[in-house]
Amino acid sequence: MDPILLIVVCVLAGGVLASLGVHLLPVGGAPAAMATATGVATGTVMLMLGAAMCGLFTAASVATYTSNILLVSLSGAVGSWLMMGVTMLLANLLYVFGVGVVPVSGRVDVDPITRESQKEYKTPQCDGHGVPNVSYISGMMGALLGGFGGALMYFALLEYANFEPTMAGVAAMGIFVANAIIAAYNIGGTIEGFQDPKFKRLPKALLTCGIISLLSGVLVSVVANMGGLIG
Amino acid sequence: MTVGGGPVVEEEKAEGFTFPPDVTQLGIISAIIAIVIVIIPGLPAVVKAVGVIFALLWGTDSVRKTSKYGLGTGVPSIGVLAMGYGILGALVGIAFAGILNVSIVQPGVLIGVIAMAIVGLISGVLSNNEKIIGMKIPGLERGMMELGMAGTLAMVLQFSIVAGSLNFDLVIEKAVSNGLIAVMFVLSMMAMFHPYNACLGPDERRPRTLMVSIEISGLLCIILGIFVAATAGSTWGVAGLVDGISLLIFGLIVWIVFFVKFIKTAMREAHSTVGTGLIRTIE
Repeated sequence: MDPILLIVVCVLAGGVLASLGVHLLPVGGAPAAMATATGVATGTVMLMLGAAMCGLFTAASVATYTSNILLVSLSGAVGSWLMMGVTMLLANLLYVFGVGVVPVSGRVDVDPITRESQKEYKTPQCDGHGVPNVSYISGMMGALLGGFGGALMYFALLEYANFEPTMAGVAAMGIFVANAIIAAYNIGGTIEGFQDPKFKRLPKALLTCGIISLLSGVLVSVVANMGGLIG
Repeated sequence: MTVGGGPVVEEEKAEGFTFPPDVTQLGIISAIIAIVIVIIPGLPAVVKAVGVIFALLWGTDSVRKTSKYGLGTGVPSIGVLAMGYGILGALVGIAFAGILNVSIVQPGVLIGVIAMAIVGLISGVLSNNEKIIGMKIPGLERGMMELGMAGTLAMVLQFSIVAGSLNFDLVIEKAVSNGLIAVMFVLSMMAMFHPYNACLGPDERRPRTLMVSIEISGLLCIILGIFVAATAGSTWGVAGLVDGISLLIFGLIVWIVFFVKFIKTAMREAHSTVGTGLIRTIE
């Protein structure tokens, strides 16, 4: 396959996966810092950037040993998976043993996965607390997809566009960040996971991020072409 | 999250530091200064640093203008977006720097700026469109376009400071592959989003916010100056030892002047200030 087409396809797929990943994360924002909303108490950008950076680190280490696209992308997914898992677990420990609240979803009455009742554990006037089971699983899925997307972009830039490892990492991060932020604007800052009604807005973000990633992919392949890095 | 709910009339205090140009004028002035400096890579680092300061000032003003209406994700997100576009645009810019050369002027880099203006405009239109994301922020299209351009200009100017030229291979070797680009990325986005993020509130005043941006640009100049001086291959010339040291001194002066100015302005405009006793309070 033509390398330029491969770069554009990989960047497009990476951007769309990043956008999808953001929609699955339990992002609580400022209200979660006071334990009055479900999710981890930080912004979408910080969570997704942290997850993507961890993914890029693992992907970059694995990419020094192999040039198998699936292996590199999956190692990136595992890196961000670990980061999100640890973050959500520690956030939950703080919420449960520090603040003294029960992890509970504010948007659904019954957990769609474990069928546990949520409503009676929720403090009145609050929008849920901590990271409940369904949000945890959703967050793990989000980190998996986001990390996979970021590492896919990194691999495409490294192997098909022949960028230097640092340049590929930073360029992948730049494109990833732009897509994650557009997706964050779509959800208006906070989301619980796939059970949240805001998740239904997903197609709009996928369309926007698709267009932005397509343009970014074209620009990156132009850089590789003009810089004399490919054929 | 809506900020700026205070009095609608923005009272400009007569005394103290003010920025005479309004948002549009500052944008045009900064853009012209930064573009003129960026297309001549043979200039000394101090002049390029002035360009960086103006580009980041423009970015800060756009961040302020855009996030006044509440983005929902916090002010930092739009600064990070600007530098995400900035990195991509800078890579496009240096890839095209080799063409269209007229003696010492290299207008090819502006292709990167134009490309990011187009991407920024498209993302702004898509984000603001009622049928797509629908953020309903007045002027978001223009804001994102300006942020993409300001980010790209700031990044290319920093590449130019460190590498001393806009040659693709040289920039990759001296500014990108050694990881310095990460420092540039973080400090440039700090200079864009931190001022408004730190100063927002009902009595936020534009000149005071913009001062913080110049102060952070000073810090950026100090770090780049140390780097240029430490890795210089020659004593004189662009990106040489003298260039690095002069940039370091310039950064120190800018940082000290604007830091003191900001603290004094904040003290004067605050209702009252109470010292904690841990550090000496300046009066």
